[in-house]
Amino acid sequence: MSAPMMSPRSLRSALAALLFTSACATAPAPTPSPTPPPAEPQAASAPATPAPAAPLSTKGVTLPETTSVTLKNGVRLLLVEKHELPLVSFSAWLRGGAVTDPAGKEGLAALTAELLQKGAGSRNAQQFADAVDGVGGELEVVPGREGLVLNGSFQSRDTALMVELLSDMLVRPRFDAQELEKARALRVSEIASAKDGDPRALIGVYFNAFHFPAHPYGGSAVGSEASLPGISRNDVLGWAKANLGADRLILSVVGDFDAKLLAAKLESALGGWAKASQPLPTVPATAPTKGRHVLLVDKPDATQTYFAIGNTGIRRTDPDRVVAELGNTVLGGRFTSLLNTELRVKTGLTYGARSSLQSHLQPGTVVLTSYTQTASTGRAIDLALDVLTRYRQEGMDDAMLASAKAYVLGQFPPTLETGEQLAMKLSELAFYGLDARDVNGFAGDVSAASRDGVRTVLQRVLPAPEDLTFVLIGKAEALRDVARKYGPVTEMKISDKRFAPPAAPGR
Amino acid sequence: MALANWFRVGSRNERPGITGLSHFFEHMMFNGAKKYGPGEFDRVMEANGGSNNAFTSEDVTVYLDWFPASALPLILDLEQDRLQSLAFDPKVIESERGVVYSERRSGVDNDNGGALQEQMQATAFVAHPYQIPVIGWPSDIESWRMEDLQQYFKTYYAPNNATLVLAGDLDPARVFEQVEATLGTIPSQPAPEPVRTKEPEQQGERRIVVKKLAQSPLLQVAYHGLAANDPDAETLELLGLILTHGDSSRLHRKLVDEARVAIRVRGTTAGGFDPSLTWFYVDLPPGGDLAKTEALLTSELARVVKDGVSDAELKKARNVALASFWRKLETNSGRARELGNAATFRGDWKALLDTPARYEKVTRDGVKALAARIFNNDHRTVGWLVPTTAPAAAPASKEAAR
Repeated sequence: MSAPMMSPRSLRSALAALLFTSACATAPAPTPSPTPPPAEPQAASAPATPAPAAPLSTKGVTLPETTSVTLKNGVRLLLVEKHELPLVSFSAWLRGGAVTDPAGKEGLAALTAELLQKGAGSRNAQQFADAVDGVGGELEVVPGREGLVLNGSFQSRDTALMVELLSDMLVRPRFDAQELEKARALRVSEIASAKDGDPRALIGVYFNAFHFPAHPYGGSAVGSEASLPGISRNDVLGWAKANLGADRLILSVVGDFDAKLLAAKLESALGGWAKASQPLPTVPATAPTKGRHVLLVDKPDATQTYFAIGNTGIRRTDPDRVVAELGNTVLGGRFTSLLNTELRVKTGLTYGARSSLQSHLQPGTVVLTSYTQTASTGRAIDLALDVLTRYRQEGMDDAMLASAKAYVLGQFPPTLETGEQLAMKLSELAFYGLDARDVNGFAGDVSAASRDGVRTVLQRVLPAPEDLTFVLIGKAEALRDVARKYGPVTEMKISDKRFAPPAAPGR
Repeated sequence: MALANWFRVGSRNERPGITGLSHFFEHMMFNGAKKYGPGEFDRVMEANGGSNNAFTSEDVTVYLDWFPASALPLILDLEQDRLQSLAFDPKVIESERGVVYSERRSGVDNDNGGALQEQMQATAFVAHPYQIPVIGWPSDIESWRMEDLQQYFKTYYAPNNATLVLAGDLDPARVFEQVEATLGTIPSQPAPEPVRTKEPEQQGERRIVVKKLAQSPLLQVAYHGLAANDPDAETLELLGLILTHGDSSRLHRKLVDEARVAIRVRGTTAGGFDPSLTWFYVDLPPGGDLAKTEALLTSELARVVKDGVSDAELKKARNVALASFWRKLETNSGRARELGNAATFRGDWKALLDTPARYEKVTRDGVKALAARIFNNDHRTVGWLVPTTAPAAAPASKEAAR
């Protein structure tokens, strides 16, 4: 009944919070699924997986008809009319995110993105906030790894204002010096404050920093307490000139409007925007690392150890991505997954255990994550490794495959229910050079997957047990001996001002 | 299709010895019944394309399922099984205790905001069970008994204590038949004992300090506020939005933007069955000045009491509330949730449909009068989380391995 946030603490779904934070910190990822964490019981050999009782609804989802326009300056517009509710949503993706941050200036792209709404066009920061809040609008800046994403939602009666605010942000940001200084200081404090909070919010940042020490994917997209203070207004202006421009923009708008009229309005608002002055830098390829490496992050007061185990996975455009996701669903992508069954349902070691694939233009990470009280750290990690090793070797049985297919198919439609979700999906597809088949063909691809096919893909995608990166956040004093079992240990403190251990190349 | 089953039971119905039981019970509802044994509920649901979740608050426990419309008969069978004949396996109970303890560690013990909030709530209420944390006190987590669970199930998990909502691709007449034939066969129980205790009027400010290893101090301030069905509930909601929603809100502007003593300000005003707290959560930067921040917050609230709010602010708050209302109705899941909310806390699902009209009725005078009523410093609790540099002496060492 409340408007913003109220007490019902969503207890079983506390992981939702993690999705939110790590979406900012780790991934340029598209829409995090609105449904909570999930999972599934029983090992690969589970005899009892019930076969679907009713004929499956394999209808899938078909993307709505889209008006697609490319302006002369390179802006791509994707418009979909949706008239059930008086709302309109946009998702603007700008190529070139944290991967363009110069070494030592991690957080530059993100800080620049944040400043877009701190004064633009005729409005200073306060007036801009008044304009958005005044009509009940929502505006979100997501600083991704390879792109900056601006999402917005307004009542449809305010569509003209929405176009004005968006084009002001993109074309006429002020980059006011005082706002820069404030935003930078705030960001530093927020990072420090996050370290006092639930470590699930940060473990992905530590993992990437340790796993990709010499690759732009290792940099913290939001920067660090060490890098942010060194970012000047000149850095911001330089970055904006080089990277903000019409040729970098993909803009999707979905909602209660007339597509023709809106296209004309957007063309007049964005058609005069110049291109970015610098060509988009390409991101070097990533590959799985060899051997085992352990990072232990000391949080001296922790009563629980948070761990992440993984390696490099696949690209967003990998031809086997649907099968890989299906395989991941069984491993750690739903409540009855192998991991959650072993670590939560059967042993009560944790509140949650899961696995996920982060896929970007280049292969991102595939990671198992969980947490448990300090004393049971070794037991929980051993169990997670057992599950991974066995699953990678043996795959799943037919009943498990049928169950995973039904689950993935059944849970897909709600990921594209709202105008906001649709807008984000359209932009995301265009960003990765994918077409509607990614959505429209999803159900067919899932249905067609075979046991052997999944197993083959998983052997490529899931890390071999001898090649793993481990990150443990917890009470180091009690964990050093345990950590050593898994490989050579590097240690750092959570209060260190960077997310990578001091020895690693500076970030 | 989305299903939401609202039970009118939460930590408000608990007492010393069984704190956290409502939430623990929520977990146990997934751990096996007569037809579908341990783990089967989730396994069968997921194998048929469904997923689920649940949450527990001070007032309610809500079960949510999302599934393809074709799976409705199966979902009703699953729901009927657990509501009719839940199993209580001692081994499963022990294992689930560990899960809940882990949840507590993440949400409270290893999260400074959660730790302070728990102490605040326990301090703001001296009589009413809203003083009890939803997750439960550690010693109770360790000692809930089988009999407690059984008693709880019988008392609170009766159809007369619940409201079931379905939203999505459905034919209402057919669904009523299906539900009647399944959940409808479960017998009612005597109505649960009402919660009679009313919180006595607070006679002066209460203050607490929590010391934790941290970089950043936290400030929380909670005033005794309103129940969900209070005629002034919308007025309070809009007042809360004016104070804390967005970068244009009064408190963000004052504390974060101008004085720069804080990095984040949030607030909540929503009530439960009984008068609840109106909260302000203020996160400070490392080394931040708690006394100064508190003084600024206090004076901003005093200003709204003295001068009220502007037309523009009220209009803004209405727009924010209205847009948020539409957004919540965009999904099946949101519709099921909001309908259940209205049915449970307003006593009628149709109350949801009047929401925009109720926002229209809020006036500037009403906001000012309510601010004066709520922001009375004698009726508040102030909490400081003060950072220490050394780890606290083995705080949770009592939780032995199990």
